[in-house]
Amino acid sequence: MRMEVVMEEKAVKYKGTNQKRSEFIWGWLFILPTMLGLIILNIIPIFQTVYQSFFKTGAFGKGNIFIGLDNYTKMFADTAVWQALWNTFKYAIIEVPFSIAIAIVLAVLLNRKMKGRTVYRTIYFLPMVAAPAAVAMVWRWLYNSEFGLLNHALNSIGLKSVNWISNPNIAFISIAVVGIWSVIGYNMVLFLAGLQEIPRDYYEAAEIDGASPVKQFFNITLPLISPTMFFVTVTRIIGALQVFDSIYMMMDKTNPAFAKTQSLVYLFYKYSFMEANKGYGSAIVMLLLVVIMIITVIQMACQKKWVNYN
Amino acid sequence: MKLKKVLAVALASVMTLSLAGCGGNTATGDTATDTTTEAAAEDTESTTESAEVPADALSVAIWDTNQEPGLTQIVNDFTAETGIKAKIQVTPWDQYWTMLEAGATGGSLPDVFWMHSNEITTYSEYEMLLDLTDKIAASEKLEMDKFPQDIVGIYNYDGKQYAVPKDFDTIALWYNKTMFDEAGLAYPDDTWTWDDFKDACQKLTKDDGSQFGYALKPSNNQDGWYNMVYDMGGEIIKADKSASGMDEEGTIKAVDFVSSIVKEGYTPAYEVMTENNPEALFEAGKVAMITQGSWMLAELCNNDYVKANCDIAVLPKDATTGRRASIYNGLGWAAAANTDKADQAWALIEYMGSKEAQQKQSDLGVVISAYEGSETNWVKAYPEFNLQAYLDMTEDMVIRPYSKHTTVWEDMISEKLIDVWTGAKDAKTACTEIAAEMNSDLAEE
Repeated sequence: MRMEVVMEEKAVKYKGTNQKRSEFIWGWLFILPTMLGLIILNIIPIFQTVYQSFFKTGAFGKGNIFIGLDNYTKMFADTAVWQALWNTFKYAIIEVPFSIAIAIVLAVLLNRKMKGRTVYRTIYFLPMVAAPAAVAMVWRWLYNSEFGLLNHALNSIGLKSVNWISNPNIAFISIAVVGIWSVIGYNMVLFLAGLQEIPRDYYEAAEIDGASPVKQFFNITLPLISPTMFFVTVTRIIGALQVFDSIYMMMDKTNPAFAKTQSLVYLFYKYSFMEANKGYGSAIVMLLLVVIMIITVIQMACQKKWVNYN
Repeated sequence: MKLKKVLAVALASVMTLSLAGCGGNTATGDTATDTTTEAAAEDTESTTESAEVPADALSVAIWDTNQEPGLTQIVNDFTAETGIKAKIQVTPWDQYWTMLEAGATGGSLPDVFWMHSNEITTYSEYEMLLDLTDKIAASEKLEMDKFPQDIVGIYNYDGKQYAVPKDFDTIALWYNKTMFDEAGLAYPDDTWTWDDFKDACQKLTKDDGSQFGYALKPSNNQDGWYNMVYDMGGEIIKADKSASGMDEEGTIKAVDFVSSIVKEGYTPAYEVMTENNPEALFEAGKVAMITQGSWMLAELCNNDYVKANCDIAVLPKDATTGRRASIYNGLGWAAAANTDKADQAWALIEYMGSKEAQQKQSDLGVVISAYEGSETNWVKAYPEFNLQAYLDMTEDMVIRPYSKHTTVWEDMISEKLIDVWTGAKDAKTACTEIAAEMNSDLAEE
């Protein structure tokens, strides 16, 4: 949306109709690959999913039987779906605030002039570069109750082993920790960009007035970084509600904590691809879509209250 | 203004990342095809490194890398004899069915491929497979009565035969000799009952938690508690697949028996078992006994710790019924219904089912071949282990329970049995619940 505004502003400056037309054509030409990708890979499948959710699906795209709202009535009565929705929320409630808070602190720390700044930035960004499945496999071994490094460390200082991923009260936190760890670097880079927008003068003025660094952070940095914060919060919540790969890779389906950790997307995957019931899977993913839309709309409405665009 | 630029850059990087994601997927796809081996080695064309199947060769899809070298040899014999080229492509099990489903939906199935009891009904119901009935009847090479009739039956849908049996598997008991010696116990033999087994589990369990008798997850069905169910007079599904057998007395008894081993502490804590496969615990010297299928030989027989300490025996029998059943399953060779090389594909399947090829498959130690009497040389594949135990288990075989959508109820059972293993529910309550849910699943099929 913001990019369009920029483009329009520019377009107004050049009045010539020829130039305007060629810009129009080139503009569309440039976004055509993205548009095509979005339409073929995202938008058409969205409508197909909606359509499919009203069917009892057969195999290989054949033999679909129209059943109206049956998938939805079944879903609303299915306790596993609501448990999964709650699990997804639990995950998001831990992952989003922590990944944002830690990332902003790191960004502030790494925004100063210091030795090895690029090295630290690279290190924090590395998890983002690693393949999520590989990350989950490594954490799975760290968490392993019998042979894992974490429990080995606990035992060596005389503490008892913890069932990191098989205790229902702990497992969702362990999985959220992996999520936080993976995404901190990405959030941090966005915040760094936001921090560099803030003019130095404000800090200098505050220093002359005798404001401590902590006060400066809360009164200058936080309000001025709020647009970036808003962007990160919206995208992270959406991302967290779609959690799948770490759960799929780390949890065995006989894990006693499984029922308390499986997310909506996992349930969608289970029905659509493991049990070949694509209609019901589609209905579940429609629920997720609606939930994400509601939350995002609320956030958009609330942004006036705290986001500072000046 | 600057912020807008930053956001633009951020959005652009998100797009690139997602593109990179796509790139990553293609890369894995490539590695999958990279494992493709040249089947027709004598052919000059096949010595080139191209991952694509030459237009005049049959594409053959399998999922087990362990079997690839042996099968390649057999396919080479086939090419030498008939002049028909064929090329094996390995896709790991997890992606195999996704690949096959996509191929079936898009009309580009491999010419010849492996079939499994979990999937056969869907593929034959939607007529994705080449009907082999008449070809089998006309064949001089193929003797269908030499195969286990249960396996032939799996691949028969509405009176039509859609696949030719390839192999079968049985289950046996692996035990750690060193631990038995240390506990002063005699090694397991064919006199063992499940009660003897449980006693041994107790004696092999150490109080300090460093060693346990046995390990088994609820999802270890074919290679675990299914065997006990049939030994103790129960069943998982009725013979006509109309209803669940989970609430039968024998089934409940077996589930109760196996969960008692867990609850009485003769296995590692349940959490440890769900995070580690039984074979991993066995290889790590944590448990003294596991039950495992013959498909695990390549994994277990090549492990140094297992080689030094362990051996194989037949499964225990039930004291009351005297039954020693082994749940077995077998793959089949099938062809695509829409292949343009139907005759060549059939020639390969016919060859694979012939006595000669089946014998060679056993002799090479690839798997136990389905053809009657061809398994005798298979035991020589790993001479340091008593593979004969797996063959002795063939005396009383029960086909792995299946219906049209096996995975649906099989996964449900595994999930519901968690509570029995952990002791949160007793076997009878859980089994009754499972039976009710399974019956409604079966009614929907």
